[in-house]
Amino acid sequence: MGRVRLLAATVTGLLVLIASGFWFVQIAQGDFYRELAENNRLRKLPIIAPRGLIFDRRGRLLVENLPSYNLMIDRSRSTDLERSVAFAAAVLGRPAAGLDDLLERYREVPVYKPVLLAENMSLSEVARFGVSALEYPEFEVEVQQTRLYRHREQTAHVIGYIGEAAPEEIERSGGAVAPGDVTGKKGIEKRYDAVLRGKDGERVVVVDSRGELLREYGRVPARAGQDLTLSLDLELQQEAASWLDGPEKVGAIIAMDPRSGELLALVSSPSFNSNLFTHRLQENDWQAILEAPNNPLQNRAVQNAYSPGSTFKIVMATAGLSEHLIDESFHLHCSGGTVIYNHPFRCWRKEGHGWVNVREALARSCDVFFYHLGQRLGIERIARYARLFGLGSPTGIDIPGEKEGLVPDAAWSLKARHQPWYAGETISVAIGQGPMLLTPLQLAAATAIVANGGYRVVPHIVKNLPSPPPERVALDPRALAIVRQGLWAVVNEPGGTAYSAARLDGFDIAGKTGSVQVIAQKVRTKAESLPFKYRDHGWFTSFAPEESPRLVVTVFVEHGGSGHNAAPIAKALYQKYLSIEAASHAGGLEASHAGGLEARPAGAHEASHAGAR
Amino acid sequence: MPALAEEKPALRHLSSIDGGLVLSVLLLSAIGLATVHSASSEMSVDYLPRQALWFGVGVVLLIAAMSVDYHVLLDFSIVLYGVSLVLLVLVLVAGIAHGGAAHWARIGPWQFQPSEFAKLATILVLARYLSGLNRRMLDLPQILASVAIVAVPMVLVLVEPDLGSAMMFAPILAGMLLVAGVRLRVLLIAALAALVLGAGMWSFGMKGYQRQRVLTFLSPETDPLGAGYQVRQSKIAVGSGEMTGKGYMQGTQSQLRFLPVRHTDFILSVLAEEWGFLGVLTVFSLYALYVASAARIAMRARDRAGILLVTGLLSVLCFHVLYNSSMVVGFVPITGIPLPFLSYGGSFTMVNFVGTGTMLGVDLRRYVNR
Repeated sequence: MGRVRLLAATVTGLLVLIASGFWFVQIAQGDFYRELAENNRLRKLPIIAPRGLIFDRRGRLLVENLPSYNLMIDRSRSTDLERSVAFAAAVLGRPAAGLDDLLERYREVPVYKPVLLAENMSLSEVARFGVSALEYPEFEVEVQQTRLYRHREQTAHVIGYIGEAAPEEIERSGGAVAPGDVTGKKGIEKRYDAVLRGKDGERVVVVDSRGELLREYGRVPARAGQDLTLSLDLELQQEAASWLDGPEKVGAIIAMDPRSGELLALVSSPSFNSNLFTHRLQENDWQAILEAPNNPLQNRAVQNAYSPGSTFKIVMATAGLSEHLIDESFHLHCSGGTVIYNHPFRCWRKEGHGWVNVREALARSCDVFFYHLGQRLGIERIARYARLFGLGSPTGIDIPGEKEGLVPDAAWSLKARHQPWYAGETISVAIGQGPMLLTPLQLAAATAIVANGGYRVVPHIVKNLPSPPPERVALDPRALAIVRQGLWAVVNEPGGTAYSAARLDGFDIAGKTGSVQVIAQKVRTKAESLPFKYRDHGWFTSFAPEESPRLVVTVFVEHGGSGHNAAPIAKALYQKYLSIEAASHAGGLEASHAGGLEARPAGAHEASHAGAR
Repeated sequence: MPALAEEKPALRHLSSIDGGLVLSVLLLSAIGLATVHSASSEMSVDYLPRQALWFGVGVVLLIAAMSVDYHVLLDFSIVLYGVSLVLLVLVLVAGIAHGGAAHWARIGPWQFQPSEFAKLATILVLARYLSGLNRRMLDLPQILASVAIVAVPMVLVLVEPDLGSAMMFAPILAGMLLVAGVRLRVLLIAALAALVLGAGMWSFGMKGYQRQRVLTFLSPETDPLGAGYQVRQSKIAVGSGEMTGKGYMQGTQSQLRFLPVRHTDFILSVLAEEWGFLGVLTVFSLYALYVASAARIAMRARDRAGILLVTGLLSVLCFHVLYNSSMVVGFVPITGIPLPFLSYGGSFTMVNFVGTGTMLGVDLRRYVNR
């Protein structure tokens, strides 16, 4: 008991001791500190760290930093607020009523706290406020860094945008983000925010009683953010964007190197002007974007999952061949329809395809062939192969918010729908209908596996940071080779579903069309005569050149009618790709020659080190 | 005696809840909420609503902690201790993976500091261990065992690295050993040994920035932008408050952003500036009331485990109060040690309320036979 008392007494004694410390500081030295506080002559000024720039794969600037001159008003220093507003309105050439409305919004903010009145002033406006500083001391010009997204809508879904940090971000960052900082809100800006941001520095300066700067007391320099080089090729990206530009152009286009997963183009439409988000005062534009049809903020390439349609026959054919249920010489007769489990299933071609093998079934997209293959495989095996192709899980792309899609099987059916899987559904899944869902990017990644002979690559946008290496997938390379031939026939043999739409002389494109019914159509009508929102979605996924693929192009057009309309877009992208390659070859030879002399000794040096180990 | 003795359920004794303890906590919390609001008025976020939420959660936790028989807590103490060690290791591994200090664990959307949890678990385990020893004075192996119980989580927190939170484990050991029965001479020698150890830490165990903090404490002018700047601005805030302060929300130091982390570690500077020496005295008196009430609870607890449990909880809280208030007037180096019931913070507020609830739980059961 005595010990507890001793503890309490010690603590109380120490409290008294500390209280006497407070007495010393507050009472004995109080006047001294009050004077210090009254003209606390130290001011802390931030040194804003420049955010990292963003380049395309060939060093072309996509995103840069610009200073923005903002007009702030300290209302407590204004003798006549009406007069202040009138002056500002005159300089800015804007109606005073608008500024009054703005001030009305700041009613809750303490008067001595400067508030934002105008953004992005011209230098001449800045100068006018500068020379009037004596007469109108209430105005202050604040320099803020903003981002300029040079290609606006064309790169918005990839790069994203920045904005003022939200309270949760500040709390979560553990001190790295302070109130008033900007952080990435979407796309690359968000995903690589910590890399791009750098670290702000600060200056402590001594000021006189009027706030004029006398001298610097100390400084912590800012650390600039790291620049990012994207794998994107600006020209290819712009070509892709141009195909989805305009009203009723909804969809996504992906161009990817199947050897590495580097994305050369990624477009989602509709898009938005990312520059609108860098300013604080433009709520109308914000509202317009939020209310626009087809949700422009949605990145359809990674955030929307759709039915694969006939493109799923790629997975089906690979599964059938790998499981040895069929081989190259296996033939099946299509008469335009078939009956499975006492239920009629129709081929899209009423007249039928006659006798077809797997290669021809892919080339002409014969449904009957795949209905029967689906019946033999069963849903569990179909699901297993779909997962081997990476469906049903995120690809790992470095754009936030990726959807994982859905690979249905019996277990899923019980869990999500509380009902058993019906065998008949397997037949629909076999031609890519039914509950199966994938994102355009997942289809591109799956196509890359076919193209590169069985390696899963992780799609990525940033080139100058390490990315995971390709990984071998447990798929039979011989099966993939046969599938590749079938996909080549789709584009290059008469009767192939993309023969007229995507064939390119001298460059062997291989691909698969697909269309997804939006509504059940009892009577087939011409796509053009249907209202936009009832038209089928169109898919085309492809790679080229067939013998050693360097590029995968996947196109998805919402309400595009069918795969027919998606294929020409892919063709145009390959043409663009070839012309870019030709141009860089012509110009690139000199560059590599010049760089060669310097590069070689460095490489040799490294090699000798490796040898020593 | 016949077994007529009152074996009443604990809740019948609600009227015997210690008024001093409850009153001091409520008043301190009210002062804390008002000061957090004032401190954050110039920030982009007003922390008042969130702190009010933490307060609400804290009250619920206090009642919950009070309702649980502390013997049950002691029975589970080893499990809790084990869990807290695992959490500390996980945070440590995550921190290494992220290439920096990470003191936070995440469960769904909730974040908390495992070191806060570890403090409570350590107190419970130590109380259980020491209460099982039936001696007036502990012998050396028993003292060493106690040291080991505290040292394991302490070292894990220290290497996170979180010097401030690691320091919190020392008063647990000192306070509980003192009450459990150790010769004062031994404690004094231990204090000396701690000083020597501190010197060793300085030479071998400290990160550059930690050493820098200590250095700046010794001569504030060397680092105007770091800790020295903070100490100086804090002293200006406190000193310029003088006897009666500048008035609520009128502190020029606090309002004009001179003070860093003013809603957490420097909340007392804001209070001292706006309410003056009288404000500080009021807060200190409330802490004194809290200490006296807790000591009374310890002394009338029905068993040794209860005494030790209350002592451990009280020791940590006292250390927070003493260190934080010394820090804002520049007596000790700045490190991240907040002020109980006043500073903003989720985990910290909850831990203080749980601790207080546990003390009240011990008090309620002072007549009840187990």
